[in-house]
Formats: sequence, structure tokens, C-alpha cells
Amino acid sequence: MVKTKDLEAHFEFECKACENGRCRKASLEKILEEREGLKEFYEAFKENVKGCKRMTYGQYMFVLDRKVLPEAVLWWHNHPKFKETHLSTAVGTDERPLDGKFAYMPFLNVQVEPFNMDRNYWVCLKTYMPADDPSFPSVAAKLPAALWIEREVKDLLGFKPFDHPDPRRLILPEDWPEGVYPLRKDMDYRYSPIREPKTEYREGPEETTLVPMGPVHMGIEEPAHFRLFVKGEEIVDVDYRGFYSHRGIEKTGEGRLTYNQILFLAERICGICGYQHSVSYAMAVERLADVDIPDRARYIRTLMLELERIHNHLLWVGIAAHMVGYDTGFMHAWRIREPVMWLVERLTGNRKQYGMNIVGGVRRDLLDYRNEEVLRVVRQIREETKKFLDIALNTNTFIKRAEGVGILPYRIAKAYSVLGPTARASGRKIDARLDQATKSAMAYHEVDFKVPVYKEGDVLARVLVRMDELFESIWIVEQLIDQMPGGDIFTPIGKLPEYEEALGFTEAHRGEVVHYVMTGEKNKVYRWKVRAPTYNNLPAVPEMLKGYHVADAPLIIASIDPCYSCTERVQFVDVNTGKVKVLTEAEFNELSIKNRGVF
Amino acid sequence: MAETVPYSEKLKKWNRMEAGRFAGKAPVTTLYPLADVEKPPEYRGIPHINPEKCIGCGACVNACPPNALIMEWDKEHGVKRLTYNAARCIRCARCIEVCPTGAMEPTTRFEIATNNKEDLVEVVEHKLAYCEECGEYLDFTERQIEYVKNILPKDVFDAYALKDRMKLTQEEKMRKTVEKLRETEGIPVSAFMLVKKGGEE
Repeated sequence: MVKTKDLEAHFEFECKACENGRCRKASLEKILEEREGLKEFYEAFKENVKGCKRMTYGQYMFVLDRKVLPEAVLWWHNHPKFKETHLSTAVGTDERPLDGKFAYMPFLNVQVEPFNMDRNYWVCLKTYMPADDPSFPSVAAKLPAALWIEREVKDLLGFKPFDHPDPRRLILPEDWPEGVYPLRKDMDYRYSPIREPKTEYREGPEETTLVPMGPVHMGIEEPAHFRLFVKGEEIVDVDYRGFYSHRGIEKTGEGRLTYNQILFLAERICGICGYQHSVSYAMAVERLADVDIPDRARYIRTLMLELERIHNHLLWVGIAAHMVGYDTGFMHAWRIREPVMWLVERLTGNRKQYGMNIVGGVRRDLLDYRNEEVLRVVRQIREETKKFLDIALNTNTFIKRAEGVGILPYRIAKAYSVLGPTARASGRKIDARLDQATKSAMAYHEVDFKVPVYKEGDVLARVLVRMDELFESIWIVEQLIDQMPGGDIFTPIGKLPEYEEALGFTEAHRGEVVHYVMTGEKNKVYRWKVRAPTYNNLPAVPEMLKGYHVADAPLIIASIDPCYSCTERVQFVDVNTGKVKVLTEAEFNELSIKNRGVF
Repeated sequence: MAETVPYSEKLKKWNRMEAGRFAGKAPVTTLYPLADVEKPPEYRGIPHINPEKCIGCGACVNACPPNALIMEWDKEHGVKRLTYNAARCIRCARCIEVCPTGAMEPTTRFEIATNNKEDLVEVVEHKLAYCEECGEYLDFTERQIEYVKNILPKDVFDAYALKDRMKLTQEEKMRKTVEKLRETEGIPVSAFMLVKKGGEE
């Protein structure tokens, strides 16, 4: 068995090479030498680069003039050598209490070589804006992946992206007054004003009929509002309005909680990928504190992450089966899934929201006899899932509705920075488990597994990618149990450095989860930004919907794996008469069954 | 004589009632609200404060993420009140981890629905210690002071003259230090040492 210590020596594990704290103060030449592409970028933008810093292992920051920001983002994104590079997220910060400026920073996940965590890295392009003129040139017209994130900083911090193609409100509710920006530091987290609501819906193309789906959507557990513009049965254009359940979690975290309490709030962001959020946050803080957590803790974390992936994929395939009207499959997928929930309840103390993490390790150890239990359960699941897939993939109901529907071409997937299984079904070779250095918090580099990639880009490919991943996850769990090292499960964190930044990330079952943490004084968090994978996947859904039938819309939307709840009603508005007809669930089901034979 | 089974053995043998049925044929569901459901011993249910062990230090209040535990001081009546509200609790069990005396006890209770909100609240009241000199109430409870007396090593106690200073308000401590300083002007000993009664200054 390969010991972690040997690997450390081989890989120059994390910050062991230089002593704690020193790695942030490396010289410019040394930083530019470290990874491929950094020097090239520096040469290209030499006049406009004001500073360069290594935030932590594999995360580099360039401070740029704001006028070159779009070119810099596109330079990385369209780099011919780094094919899978994508704009992961962007963070806006109110740094006025520190230096009287606002900061905006896009983060790019640079992929020198897919699935090689020692060569890939994160690039943060930070730009400062004066307090009286917080504006920056928008990149969204050329790179749709930035559409939402630029609208978000406009809403929450009052930044002004020039030439943004769609500068409507995204996150704040319609009845929120103009000129009140919640994430600015001078606003208290309890303040919540209400004004007259003002809606900003987009006009559809001519000679189309509007089919609103929502505000509570059939495909997503949280409320979301899709407005489908249809010509007959065919979807021509789509408008989206969401964020009805924006809860201001980031503001609460910054305003009230200590860094250990945020962990539990982070776990409750999502009911499905909660543990992924918790690990991402913990990883970001551990990176900041320059702490390597014990091996056993890393293994337990990885084990829980994979168990979560197993039950999430089974849950999702059940929902997909339900969406196409194959309810037997739905029941069986959920029956197969139930033992995993029971298992994690015994491992951690709860079915979901494991509460297993703490910054610096995990809270519960894995007792020896439970290893057998884990192995027994995952083997049983492997057998039953094989049987299930054998039946489901030979069922015409399932195949005929999933094949060739909701195709997302590679080009669009890259332009929108689509992540996770949705992207892998469209041929993108990305997986944050292997792409970026997850060594300090997880043990993915010490196990062997494959990342399934399909080229078709339709709903069926997304099913197959997830099912292949499920079997890989079971294989990872078996290896982890086999290789589980002994020792401590927790290491103390100590003092956090002040005003430093780092990213934490995991590959959730929907794509890469990114948590950005900037520390403040006295072990508090100054800025905490969460980017869930659906945030990148959802803007691409309108592209998938175009050209397909209304009856396929719920399935296509669900195929990117947002959470699903059943619809209560669908509203049909006739544009000519303005008459509103509300369908009941039974009527809607009838309609979708009737339209199933159309293609 | 009852046979004692080690806890880990007990955990090993425990199995959920549905598991047997699940392995067989349909029906696989449980008639939940009608049938009793037992949670596994590892389950994190709502915690419970054991008033006999609680010393009122407030470690749980500092750790609690959703403010389900609240600490209040009532200096008029000399009471420190610890309130636990299960309705706000997210069952993270951080309070159980940080409690120095084991007063927060884990349970496997999860059915806490009730039509009276007061059923969900637990209140523990502690007597505050009072100042030996001026008679005002301190910030600490009597139990906290007892606990500190038991755990602190003797040399720490002596070095900081805690025996005499412990039961004084902040103002009294300062006043006494100043008085002693005046008496013994010019002697290079740290100020709090001088407060020691009957010391050999």
C-alpha cells in the first residue's frame, strides 16, 4: 500500500516545501515559474498587471487594471492550449473599510492537462474600483458564462458592468428598492426594506405564445420561473427568473457567525449536496490557516462525499424515470437508495445534513465494525443497480423520451461554463476531484477511478454518465475502506491570517462547488461567497430547451439535476386574448401524455 | 446478575426494524405515524440539559450556530438563565462536544411536534456568586467558581492570588490593587500579587 507520507515526498505536498505562512510571499519570478501559462499571461498583460500573488497552493492572483479585465478573462478562456479552461465564478467585495475601494474578481479554472491536479491551477483576476465609481467593462456579451455573475454583483453590491447585454435584476426580489445593496458593509444584515414590486420580464419573439412554468417549478425544488415562448409545440425562446428563495446566507455568515458556525450554515445551503458545501468551506479555511488535516480525516471525508454521490445519483435517476412516466423505475431507484441513507445515519447520526465536518477534520470516527457494514451496503447497491439499469435501459418509455432530447453541444457547454455530469455528457473532460489540488482536504489522488465522458450531449447521455459515475463511486468507497489509515481525525486550526483569500472546492454530483473565503480580523470571516454548480448549469438550460417540445421541458430542465418537486399547475396565457387558463396537475399530465407521441 | 454488554457490541447488534422486511418482498414501507420507529443509537436527536451537571459557563451558547441556546443575566435577582429552544435547534450537537461537564446530553428523540411551543423550551437557572466586599453579583455562577477551584492547578492559584480575588467584582479587584500599591510603594512585585491577604510583602 502506498503511504501518504511517500506521496507527500513525491508531490511536495501542499505548503510543506516552504514553512507555514511563507508561501504567500514568494517572489514574482518564482511564482511565474511555477505553472505553465502564468508567464505567458504576465508577458501579454505586463503594463496592466499591478501585482501578482500566490493565494495558496495552486491558486494565483493577478491584480489588473479594470479596463483590460474582459481581454484578460477571454485570454484565459480562449487559450488554444488550455482547452477545458472555464470561468468558474466571480466575487465582488466591498473593501471600503480596508482601503476605500471595491474589488471584483473573476476566477478561472485553468486546465493545463485534464485530470492532473499538479499542473492545473486557479487564476483570480482581481481589479479594484474607486468607491465613487464602481464600474467595470462587462465580458458577458462575448462570454455567456459571465451573464449571471455580473448581474449578481450589480444587484448585491451596486457595481455597474458596462455594455452588459441583459442588465435586469437577477437576485434581489422585485419589491426590493433601488439603491440598497445588501452585501455592502454599511448595511446591517437584519435590514430588509420593501417597496412597490416592479417586474422586468423580457418580450418574446414575434408570433410566439407564452407558456409560463412556475413560479414554483416542476423541475426544481426551489421556486423558479421559466417563461417558454412557443410556436405551436416547439419552444423558440426561453426567459428565466429565479432566486425567489434567496436567503442572504452569505450576509448572515459575514455578519453574525464565527468561522466554525458558518460550516453548519454552509451544510444547510442545499438539502442534497450539503456535505459537499461543508467540505468546500472547511477546505477554504484550512487552506487559509495552512493546516493539513490528518489522513484519516481526509479518508472519512472522501468516503462520505462518495456515499452522498451514490444516493444522489440514485435519487436523480428515479426522478428522471418519473419525469418520463416510468414510475416503476422511480420506485425501484428510491428503494435501492434507502439503505445508503440508513448507512449514513449510522455513520454520522443523520440521514442528511451529516454534521460530520469541523474545520480541521471530522467529528466522528469510523468504528471498525462499520467498515463491513459499508462494504455490505455498497455491494448490495451495485448488484441492485445493475439489475435496475438492465431493466430501465431496455424500457422503451425511458429510452424514447431521453434519446436525442435536450442536446447541449460542446461549444455551448464551454461558453456557458457548464459543469459536472451535464458537461461530461457533452464531451467536456472536467472533474474537480482530479482537476484541481484537492489533496489537503480529500483523498482522491490516492484512489483509482475513471471519469466517464460521453459525446452525445442528450438526456440519455446524462443518465449514462451518472450511472457510470455511480459504479465508480462504489469502487472508490471499496478502496477507501481498504486503505483507511489510522490516527487522529482532527487537528486544531489556530489563528487565521488577516485579510487573506482562498478557494475551497469539491466536485458535487452536479458539478464543481466553489467556496471563496476572505478572512477578517480576530478569526472572523470578512467575505464568504458560495457558488453552487446549478448556478452555472441553469443559464444553459434555455439553450437546451430551444427547438424541443413543451412536454419535454420538465425532463430537460430536470436533466441538469436541479431538485425536483411536482407541479401544482401550469398557466397558459393566450397572447391574443390575454385570457389566462390554469391547468390542474391532472390536466397537465394528460397534456404531456397526449403530446408524447408527437415525435 | 445482569450481564453487561459493552457499548460497541450493543451498537454492532442493533438493526432497524424495517431492514428485515426490506430484504423480502413488498410491502417495504412502514406505517410510520401509526407504528413506533426506533432510531439507531448513533442518531443525533435533540439534546437535553442536565441541570445537575450544568455549571452555566455558556460554552454551548458560544458554539451554537442558530442561537438555539441563549444566556441571560438577571443581576437584580442574582440569576443566570440558560434557555434551550428545540424549535430553533439544527441538531448539530456542537453543544454536546464543547460542554466541559457533560451536562448537554445527547438523545435519540426526533418527534418534537407539539401544539404548545413551551414544550420545546428548557430553562436552567443558576445562582450568581456575589462579591465578598461589596455584595454585588458577579458575572459568574457559584458552580462555575467551584468548578474552577477544582480544575486549576495549585501553583496557578497561588501565582495569581486567585483564592482571594476570585469572589470580587472587577471594580473591587482594581480598588484593592490600587490600595495595596499605595501601601507598598516602590516594591517591584506585580500588582495582583500584592492583594494576597497576609502576604509577605
